[in-house]
Amino acid sequence: MTLSHALSRVVDAIDIETFLLCGSAEEARKIALSMLLGLGFSDADVVSVEMNGPGARVRARTYVHRPGARYGWLGGADGGDVA
Amino acid sequence: MILLVPLDPVHDVGLKMIKRALEEAGHKTVLLPPDMTPSEIIARAEKIRPSHMLVSRTLGYQAEEVLARLADLADAAGIREQTRMIIGGMAVRPELAQELGFDAGFGPGTSPSEVVAFIEGRPAPSAECAHQRAKKDLTAGYTYRFKDESVGRLAEQLADELLIWADERTSPAVERAELRYAALMEGRSVGTDYLALCDEVVRAAYLTGTPPKKTRHLTVDEQRHLGMLGERQYVASRPRSHPAPVLFVQYGTGCPFMDVAHIKAAVAWGADGVVHFDPSWGARTEGLLEGWLTHEEDGSVITPENLRAIRQALEPWVLWQVRAHRGLNTPETVVLAGHAGADLTKINIAYGSLGGGTDPERLAVDGVAAMRWAAKFSMPFDIVTNEELSGVPAGKAFASMLVMAALAKKVGARPILQPLFCNSPEVMIGGYMSDNYVDFNVAKVQVLRDILDAPVWPGAPVGFLTQTEDRVQSSLMTGLHACLAGFLRADAVTIASSDEAYSGGPITAAARTDTLTAVLAAARFFGSCVITPTAEAERFKRLIYSQICDALTAAQKAPSFVQALYDGVFGSRDDGAHPGRNGRGTVRVK
Repeated sequence: MTLSHALSRVVDAIDIETFLLCGSAEEARKIALSMLLGLGFSDADVVSVEMNGPGARVRARTYVHRPGARYGWLGGADGGDVA
Repeated sequence: MILLVPLDPVHDVGLKMIKRALEEAGHKTVLLPPDMTPSEIIARAEKIRPSHMLVSRTLGYQAEEVLARLADLADAAGIREQTRMIIGGMAVRPELAQELGFDAGFGPGTSPSEVVAFIEGRPAPSAECAHQRAKKDLTAGYTYRFKDESVGRLAEQLADELLIWADERTSPAVERAELRYAALMEGRSVGTDYLALCDEVVRAAYLTGTPPKKTRHLTVDEQRHLGMLGERQYVASRPRSHPAPVLFVQYGTGCPFMDVAHIKAAVAWGADGVVHFDPSWGARTEGLLEGWLTHEEDGSVITPENLRAIRQALEPWVLWQVRAHRGLNTPETVVLAGHAGADLTKINIAYGSLGGGTDPERLAVDGVAAMRWAAKFSMPFDIVTNEELSGVPAGKAFASMLVMAALAKKVGARPILQPLFCNSPEVMIGGYMSDNYVDFNVAKVQVLRDILDAPVWPGAPVGFLTQTEDRVQSSLMTGLHACLAGFLRADAVTIASSDEAYSGGPITAAARTDTLTAVLAAARFFGSCVITPTAEAERFKRLIYSQICDALTAAQKAPSFVQALYDGVFGSRDDGAHPGRNGRGTVRVK
């Protein structure tokens, strides 16, 4: 399965949730966003970030399919009829 | 005879539970001691000649090799012809069981009754349950009798006065609802008489085919796919091991496709009902659109076609609510909802006027008409008191809610009381929940139950303003609030997703499953236990009750119920409520 085919199965968004060793919530936010951008996702945001002690628990999100878009999971050349 | 084999050094609890279930169902079983070798197990099986061999084993640490060897030895011994071999345990999947040479595999979460059903060749209980689930009538068994006669008398008098007042008046929405109903009955689009009662943006959409900004028509191909997606019905839903109130989730992603995807996921994860959210601009715009429309922002556009598509997508037992409560299309929304087959709607003149932006006079006329339509369609509706979120004290909001309930009863409708179950501004400012999130919510439900024999459906959503952007915290708060509602024997609850506090983008399907998982897990944890509030709950009950009595008494002294809304009797500017202006000056005397 290709990456684009795999992404076509995502109903709406992909969340990446992790714990980052960092000095501040702002730093965690920047790292999380750069991680998503580095993976090739431009529509990125940080849903939650909480800094405590040595680092931050952070959840970053990228929307693969926003409402009103044309969804890969509805079928077509790449997506396949999975819905 | 069924042979139970704990092929695991320590874990045989699951097999012991299954052994009990099998014996209760009349089967004979033999449970082997743990940690026997495959050769020893097969030797016992050759002697016993069981119909089934249930093997439990946690995968990992070369377990797959041991299991494959067990299956090979069984083949070599020739016992497979009369013995079906089944494996269960953590990380076991049916396809893996097949790869290892077993006849079936059960993973984590399997109940003993599912295994018994498999052995007896019956459908799994969860699937049976899904087939047998029936829509629940949330209003069944309630008399709508005012148990508190003094409060009831005041509420009834105000309702009588409002009914007489409203029947002498009409509005563009009341007239549009009549025209829409006629068009639906005749299977046609609305005509120019309807368009004359609409705002320009709606009129333009009909006349030019150009939808409003940030909406577009679905293509023909998309319409076809939507139909196919909707037709797919899922039998199995997550079994509910313990009772919980009827669970509603909200949807309104903007797009009917996405809505259907989210609804299917939510229902599979345990939701009993879904609530349609429309765009906020829909409440400020005169007239409703037609066609298959998708919207790029929050809120799914209410059209006959969109509602039909959603209806088609719902499993037969799923309750469906279409909100009509707050805007300039209230009666017509009820007509569309009722015609599309909705089970429930939402109407509250006071909330829509004080927290929803609609002029009180206008919504009073529209609200009464909407209740009459709801009665015509036999569609119960909740009376939501979200004006509390503006800062209105619970007692004032409840006072108008009780007038609405009395009014609904008079027009033959079936109302449901929907108190907020959350950390409202009144609570925060007053410090009422500094110790816990239980006392004030308990007091609210108990006050209502003491006054009126009516269903209670806390919302909306429960736990509002207690949830953070952290999905674990958010889901936990939702689960606990839902269980508190269950403890209070609430008839239903509306729950949020774990994205409740996130405003940076659309709610995701995964976020919806987060909170459903939390609610069912919490329900399992509490079971039929009782949650005991502190003595503060009694103090809050007295506070709320006095607010109700004061507000109803003040309203009775006002020139009219509508004037009482303008004058702040049911929520003042100081409280944070501001009479809406949308639709002001559009009411006319018949």
